[in-house]
Amino acid sequence: MESLLQHLDRFSELLAVSRTTHVSTWDPATVRRALQWARYLRHIHQRFGRHGRIRMALERRLHNHWRQEGGFGRGLVPGLANFQALGRCDVLLTLRLLENRALGDAARHHLLQQLFPGPGVPDADEETLQESLASLARRRSAVHLLRFNGYRENPNLQEDSLMKTQAELLLERLQEVGKAEAEGPTRFLSSLWERLPKNNFLKVIAVALLQPPLSPRPQEELEPGIHKTHGEGSQALVHWLLGNSEVFAAFCRALPVGLLTLVTSRHPALSPVYLGLLTDWGQRLHYDLQKGIWVGTEPQDVPWEELHDRFLSLCQAPSPLKDEVLTSLETCKAQDGDFEVPGLSIWTDLLLALRSGAFRKKQILGFSPDLSSV
Amino acid sequence: MAQDSVDLSCDYQFWMQKLSVWDQASTLETQQDTCLHLAQFQEFLRKMYEALKEMDSNTVIERFPTIGQLLAKACWNPFILAYDESQKILIWCLCCLINKEPQNSGQSKLNYWIQGLLSHILSALRFDKEVALFTQGLGYAPIDYYPGLLKNMVLSLASELRENHLNGFNTQRRMAPERVASLSRVCVPLITLPDVDPLVEALLICHGHEPQEILQQEFFEAVNEAILLKKISLPVSAVVCLWLRHLPSLEKTMLHLFEKLISSERNCLRRIECFIKDSLLSQAACHPAIFRVVDEIFRCALLETDGAPEVIATIQVFTQCFVEALEKENKQLQFTLKTYFPYTSPSLATVLLQDPQGIPQGQWLQTLKHISELLRKAVEDQTHGSCRGPFESWFLFIHFGGWAEMAAEQLLMSAAEPPTAVLWLLAFYYGPCDGRQQRTQTMVQVKAVLGHLRAMCRSTTLSAKDLQTAAGQGTDTDPRAPAQQLIRHLLLNFLLWAPRGHMIARDAITLMAHTAEITHEIIGFLDQTLYRWDRLGIESPRSGKLARELLKELQTQV
Repeated sequence: MESLLQHLDRFSELLAVSRTTHVSTWDPATVRRALQWARYLRHIHQRFGRHGRIRMALERRLHNHWRQEGGFGRGLVPGLANFQALGRCDVLLTLRLLENRALGDAARHHLLQQLFPGPGVPDADEETLQESLASLARRRSAVHLLRFNGYRENPNLQEDSLMKTQAELLLERLQEVGKAEAEGPTRFLSSLWERLPKNNFLKVIAVALLQPPLSPRPQEELEPGIHKTHGEGSQALVHWLLGNSEVFAAFCRALPVGLLTLVTSRHPALSPVYLGLLTDWGQRLHYDLQKGIWVGTEPQDVPWEELHDRFLSLCQAPSPLKDEVLTSLETCKAQDGDFEVPGLSIWTDLLLALRSGAFRKKQILGFSPDLSSV
Repeated sequence: MAQDSVDLSCDYQFWMQKLSVWDQASTLETQQDTCLHLAQFQEFLRKMYEALKEMDSNTVIERFPTIGQLLAKACWNPFILAYDESQKILIWCLCCLINKEPQNSGQSKLNYWIQGLLSHILSALRFDKEVALFTQGLGYAPIDYYPGLLKNMVLSLASELRENHLNGFNTQRRMAPERVASLSRVCVPLITLPDVDPLVEALLICHGHEPQEILQQEFFEAVNEAILLKKISLPVSAVVCLWLRHLPSLEKTMLHLFEKLISSERNCLRRIECFIKDSLLSQAACHPAIFRVVDEIFRCALLETDGAPEVIATIQVFTQCFVEALEKENKQLQFTLKTYFPYTSPSLATVLLQDPQGIPQGQWLQTLKHISELLRKAVEDQTHGSCRGPFESWFLFIHFGGWAEMAAEQLLMSAAEPPTAVLWLLAFYYGPCDGRQQRTQTMVQVKAVLGHLRAMCRSTTLSAKDLQTAAGQGTDTDPRAPAQQLIRHLLLNFLLWAPRGHMIARDAITLMAHTAEITHEIIGFLDQTLYRWDRLGIESPRSGKLARELLKELQTQV
């Protein structure tokens, strides 16, 4: 067992080196040995996939590396993040080497010869590296073709395939980081927040929070020890959002209204904070007597229309979120003096507007299932 | 060899020109043309590789100075990269160009350039910047997420198509026909990629609401080709949609079936059954429109071959598989029988469709009489539908030819006087073109033979020669005459069923099989009989054993 773990350590180092200029010192023999190591680990992956104890031991070792390198805080992910990655470690190594311009001519030539031996009898037992690479190239072209010839961005972000894929990846990563260290996800998310384009990141978080719980895939059913669920990842996300008010405010400001309503009704822990934010935003507005409308003092203040839309969308959500929103509005109104005439308290006016909106809707549609209690 | 290299040079020029026109397959016309040529181009690449691997890189450049250009153009065409094994062969070709020990800067430059192309094929299809940054930030390599991304894209497009199919009149969420057409075009190279199956299925099933077909012909052709080559497996419902939307595909599948039947061993119903079930034709025929087309093709084949026994056997097996599929699909018929057999009275179709296993053996003769009456009425009734004449009735009857075989068996086994109706049924089955007088004569002849056979059953001494004399065979009558064929089948039944028959079976068959044609006929009879017994669960160990032995012996003779 110990020798297996040492092997794993050495391969992890090798993988790290494969991206650096150190490979300029590699000769064909080094390349051959590196590929042999990778093949061996892939073999280990196949052989011990069902073997819970060995699997766990290997995964723990990988996570230790990750932690020791301070990966979670710095957001660095090693080449091998989990046991499954062993199954494709040879492809990973190969692609890194191919893309590394520092690799010398002789070594590169040898690498290509090893990778693409040409047509031959396919190995019945395992997919050859040549086949894996060709199939990867084919799938990439497939994605490219569909992307530019049929794909349209889905107006419902949570159904958009690019968003969905990113969300799935995020949840998967969070789960792994969580397994390695309890505080891992929070540190990891904060480091991502520092490094990644914020708008896309926020969207991905929202879509991730809306992913249905994963049922184990058939392939994973064969692999005991990992019960992949999206639950852990999304809990980590909620936890992180609640602990970072600045991020959460950005989250609420940047995302489409309908999406936020879906997220809050799916994760009740978020709704009081969201409502608190809306209350803050509302309190910043004052009534312009001349124009007869509520206006902000600062340019970054949320305009009345947006505030109204957000409450309207929340009121259309199913209970208990809808009730919670109405109760919150009523409480604010009472605190302001419980006025019934417009222009004195923004909460009175919001409730009036919501009711008349509901009334209008009732007139147009002939019924109003959502706002009948407003 | 010299000729090969001339051919390759010609091809080379041709493809160079094509690739230049296609560019990156960005316009509709170039995409269409690329799709049409994908398989041929792959074949060319293969030949090219075979030639290149024999040369060193310097010779390659000498012989094909523009090879780099040609391969680069192929590398930049996503249709080619996505098709079957083209990307792999392209990589092999590129590897042949690499100089192992570059001597000068020119060679090093070339190596460098080829590496760029290789890395383009394997990893450089840049995606949206944000997605790339995000996945990289999470520490994922493309190999980790491309399969998942492809799956999500395919599922999302498939569900969009389904939605479009369901709310076609809701113009807001409608997919523009051009977009659907374009999707079907990009699917051409992707059809054999299992990840894309759900999209192919959705494209076939969701027909949208356009008056005209919007999917590309190349798409239909490519899907059908993949089905024939077993490179894709689609549910029957999707295959039905394909054949309904694209008749040439159905025709091609029928032709493919015939080709397989012709190239395989003659007279083996089990194999025919496998071929038919494998082709999905019998399952798809549960849709009446498909049944009618298939049946029409069978009718043509029958007429073209002058009623070849192999075609008749195929029609019978097909019908059996079809009935099985129909029962499996739905206990209650979704469509009326009239939709499958429009030229037949529904009562006749209903009787013929009965499964003999569902009827007690004691009533088989009764059922046969009933079939005969209904058929005779249809044949002799000149008042309506007469223009189709007796052929239609016969064509229908041969679908269920098992009844005729059973009739011959029943006549031999029953001790009673042969019923005229059953005699007529046999005479009609074997001689549909006979006139009334001819048919009556056949019936008289058959009745006489039956009388002789019955007498022989009781006689203590029996020889093959006696049998032949009794049957009136071996005289100067034409062995191909319908009556003669019918009598031969009666004799064969006698040999299998009568205990005395067993002893003289081999001699009798040797006497009977004096031409290759008759030998084939006997083989066909034995195969068919065994197949039918097996299906109907007729237990007769001695007859079965004899039939199998005879079949084996005869098969070694031909």
